[in-house]
Amino acid sequence: MSVSTFVGIETALRGLVAQQQALEITGHNITNANTAGYTREVANFSTTGALQVQPGSLLGTGVTVTGFQRVRDSFLDVQLRAQTMLQGSAQATEDNLGQVEGVINEPSDTGLNSLLGSYWSAWQNVANSPQDPATRQALVEAAKSLASGLNNTASQLSTIASQTAQDAGLTLQQVNADAQTLQSLNTAIYNAKAVGDTANDLLDQRDKLLDDMSQLGGVSVTDNADGTNNVTFDGVALVAGKTAYTLSESGGTLSNDMTTPQTATLTASMGKLGALVAQRDTTIPSYQSQLDAIANALATQTNTLNSAGYALDGTTGNAFFSGTTAATIAVVATSTKVAASATAGGVPGDNTNALTLADLQNQAIASLGGSTINGAYAKLVTTIGSDSQSAQRAVSNANVLVDSLTNRRDSVSGVSLDEEMTNLVKYQQGYQAASRALNSIDDALNILINRTGRVGL
Amino acid sequence: MTRVTNSMTARTVLADIQNVQAQLTETQNRLSSGKQLTKPSDDPFGTSRALLYRGELAANTQYQSNVNEATSWLNTTDTALGSISDDAARARDLLLQGANGSMSQTDKDAIADELDQLADSIKTAGNTQYAGSYIFSGAKTGTQPFTIGGTDAYAGDTSTINREIGQGVTVPVNVTGDTVVSPVLAAIRQAAIDLRAGGTPGNLGTTDLNALDAASDNISETRAIVGARQNRMASALSRLQQINVAQSQQLSNTEDADMAQTMIDFSTQSAVYQAALKAGANLIQPSLMNFLSS
Repeated sequence: MSVSTFVGIETALRGLVAQQQALEITGHNITNANTAGYTREVANFSTTGALQVQPGSLLGTGVTVTGFQRVRDSFLDVQLRAQTMLQGSAQATEDNLGQVEGVINEPSDTGLNSLLGSYWSAWQNVANSPQDPATRQALVEAAKSLASGLNNTASQLSTIASQTAQDAGLTLQQVNADAQTLQSLNTAIYNAKAVGDTANDLLDQRDKLLDDMSQLGGVSVTDNADGTNNVTFDGVALVAGKTAYTLSESGGTLSNDMTTPQTATLTASMGKLGALVAQRDTTIPSYQSQLDAIANALATQTNTLNSAGYALDGTTGNAFFSGTTAATIAVVATSTKVAASATAGGVPGDNTNALTLADLQNQAIASLGGSTINGAYAKLVTTIGSDSQSAQRAVSNANVLVDSLTNRRDSVSGVSLDEEMTNLVKYQQGYQAASRALNSIDDALNILINRTGRVGL
Repeated sequence: MTRVTNSMTARTVLADIQNVQAQLTETQNRLSSGKQLTKPSDDPFGTSRALLYRGELAANTQYQSNVNEATSWLNTTDTALGSISDDAARARDLLLQGANGSMSQTDKDAIADELDQLADSIKTAGNTQYAGSYIFSGAKTGTQPFTIGGTDAYAGDTSTINREIGQGVTVPVNVTGDTVVSPVLAAIRQAAIDLRAGGTPGNLGTTDLNALDAASDNISETRAIVGARQNRMASALSRLQQINVAQSQQLSNTEDADMAQTMIDFSTQSAVYQAALKAGANLIQPSLMNFLSS
């Protein structure tokens, strides 16, 4: 069986078309070299069906592009997303603790530590000149500075706590908004797939969105045969194909709005949401309660001693501070109610009680776990410092790991301009060669058609 | 072979430059603030040490001021006791004159008057104040212990006033008038009474003289005690000053940046930074495009 005269022309044409498509996809890759989440695509060439010239002998008919393939390793996606989640949680923790450190403002000449120092010194000065109203007034002023320092620290901590709660809410809103986007991407991908298209750019968008969501929490993805996927967020179903669920969080428990809601308990390492919830429910309240314990010990112990002594006006049983928390502590004593004396009335020089009060500085206090007041404060500062330091380390580690995994993924999926330029040259040469083949067949046919049968003309 | 893409190169260069820059910024902070501890997370353990040292330094400074206060009080006490002691010596001289049997009653009355004057002078010394406090009144520092021109009754109390000169270390600073001033006054008054009554030389020269000597000895002993306390304060002050120096040193070691080290770090890091920038610029710029002829 002979083949058509024009098979060569068709073959060359298929070559031209295939090389041109490959050139176009190379252009697509080059222009998207800096697009976040872009996966490089390669044109898959394959030979077209052969013609049987004679039994046992097949004539190839050229090339066709069977598809544009996204070059991607989904195993790397899983690794990267797991690490991105840790990065998100470390980053959120570090940001928050950085703010707490700013509030604490130690070591400094203006922090609570130095205010405590001034307060104890003021009692010593009262002990030195108990008959002098000025030193008592100075004590009251030092105590007021200390109380307002505690008040400020407490109120700034509450501000951070409420901001954290707000941030957690916003993060959850973001997750729910992302779920809607995922749902519509899934629908678009499903529709494209239904008509036989592979919507590569939509798949890129979906993968990019899932990458971004990994910052917020643990994202786990299962692909469906119809092109859509199922996504769980921190173990709770978020998207199932073309359906999206709405997540809500309460007291550290995440749940969705399925008929039988799925729930999960958030932990600090579960992305930004988990970290913020842990800060809101555990970390910041623990700092607040430590500060409250210090303020309470200061107020209670000072009051006990002050009311046991005798004031300059001869009265006894006078409270010095009011309030039992860092937010509410205030000075109620006036300079005449400062009880420096241990004996009733008329002995302004008796400084026994003032010395006892000044010595409170060195007393281990049971409600502070056997620490002194200054010691308990130093412990609080150290706790905050250590927490913040380990969060900073976690951020550096996570950054390095995320960068390294992103590099590994880019090594597979990223665009190399050198490679694309090489491809450009390769496909251009291929195109030129195919047109040269067309040309030579054309030449041959020209001789056949125009030159044959003209003998003697 | 790992496939290297442009975004990988860019990311790596950027991450490295950012790392070096972050280090450089931190070193620069240390240089400009002179502190290696600016927030607790710089060194949590160091911060707790720094807070401890700062607390101890503040307490130490206060103890020094307590010691200075107590020293001034003791100095004032010593001066007052010195003047009382002088008056007592003068009274002794007068008593010896009066004990001389050849004196007329008029002369004895004159001596008795002078003794009364001395008693008032001693009371004035007993009313010495330091910073508004009567130092011989016990804890009744607002009450004048002796009334000039009145009875010799002691109006103060017997309380001890303490000063804290170290953690849990208290030292009494006061001497009460009833133990040092009242016996002298009593001896002088008795002598004056005996003189006016034309007392026998024996009575004046023995009982009254002995009483006055005993009171004088008592003052000397008290002055010795006060002197010992002054010495104790002086040695406490020098000890506190030494501790202060040591604590400041420790605080500085904990909180302050080692300038030489920091300068060297800074130079090294800034060299690395510039090298990273240069390498980055060279690395990112060329691609195959630069070398393909159009």
